[in-house]
Amino acid sequence: MRNSQPESPVSSVSERSPGADAQAPLTQLFESLRPDLVRFAHWLSRDRAVAEDIVQESLLRAWRSRDALREPASARAWLLTIVRREHARLYERKRLELVSLEEVVDTAAGPRLAEPDGDLLTLRNAIMRLPIEYREPLVLQVLGGFSTEEIARELTLSSTAVLTRLFRARNKLRAICGMTPVADVADGEVAR
Amino acid sequence: MKCEQARLQMGADPSAATPDLEAHVAGCAACARFREEMRALDVDIRRALQEPPRASVSRRRRPQRLWRQWALAASVLLATAAVLGVWLLRPSQTLAREVVAHVQAEPESWLATQHLSSGDIAAALRGSGVELELISERVTYAHSCWFRGRYVPHLVVQTAQGPVTVMILSHERVLMRRSFREAGMSGVIVPAGTGSIAVLARDGGDMNAVAGQMQHDIRWLPQPH
Repeated sequence: MRNSQPESPVSSVSERSPGADAQAPLTQLFESLRPDLVRFAHWLSRDRAVAEDIVQESLLRAWRSRDALREPASARAWLLTIVRREHARLYERKRLELVSLEEVVDTAAGPRLAEPDGDLLTLRNAIMRLPIEYREPLVLQVLGGFSTEEIARELTLSSTAVLTRLFRARNKLRAICGMTPVADVADGEVAR
Repeated sequence: MKCEQARLQMGADPSAATPDLEAHVAGCAACARFREEMRALDVDIRRALQEPPRASVSRRRRPQRLWRQWALAASVLLATAAVLGVWLLRPSQTLAREVVAHVQAEPESWLATQHLSSGDIAAALRGSGVELELISERVTYAHSCWFRGRYVPHLVVQTAQGPVTVMILSHERVLMRRSFREAGMSGVIVPAGTGSIAVLARDGGDMNAVAGQMQHDIRWLPQPH
């Protein structure tokens, strides 16, 4: 007996039951956003395989609660939020294996010779090195396009705390990129 | 707005453009330069984030996991091999030593040159549970020897490379072929029939050929109940 509803947005449209034809645009939308989601999850988890798993689970969750998506235009932000929560949930479920930062750098530094832009690679590695509390708001802001207020809501932080973390993240990257870092700030000093 | 406060704002969000901030930057060349730097850095950050590092952490971590799994598997395998070794090899090692000791105790067996009759060979085989279709001219020594609680045939067969000792051990089971070298002799114990055959050589006697021939020529009789 066939399911009346497709279980996963990952399977191809042709494999779906006839009743799912109406959902095909949503499936295509999800699929079109998948690269963004994987990239986002990869920056959060620092692990490609984990990122794929997170996105897969996120898409399933999104599909099950697809009625909550009012506007297709907001699908990207909606899915990114689900991915971020799924990533956080993953950390809650099991403490991910800790990986030394040197290991990350060594790994990423491997293809340096083939990298046309060494500075970009250095920056990429530096972002990977950032602790999650700095990396996460930065990725949400730059890659996800979230505002400070949205990030604050998502991370259940105050806007000031988010700004402080963003400042510190960039200040660290600034130092790594050879620029003079500015004086650090105590929590809550950044005002908008 | 002070410079420090402006820089903190621009560091948090280089695209920020509040009226206070714009007013400050308009009158402060250093902060304007700082903002340009941060905006340039942000362009690079955006470019960097478009592509995660090519080799993810997992690619380094997985071999470690694999290494651990392989190490665990190897440990289990080694432990199993050790147990098997004790179980399988030690008895045959002991058996080999006892065979060598027995042959050492009968040094004259190597020196016999007179070919034996079929009757002599049959007498040596009597009660051992085997029959042997062997060219009697090649056998120069045949005795029924007390070994491990029973009489077993002890033969010496002449080969082109020298004499070879054969002991037919119908009650000594071995699970696999085992070669050994001890006390100036090289030997092999091979499973055969209900037991095994031990073949020893000095001076390069062709024990492997003899072992193979014995496996072929010996007929194992039904064991009495």
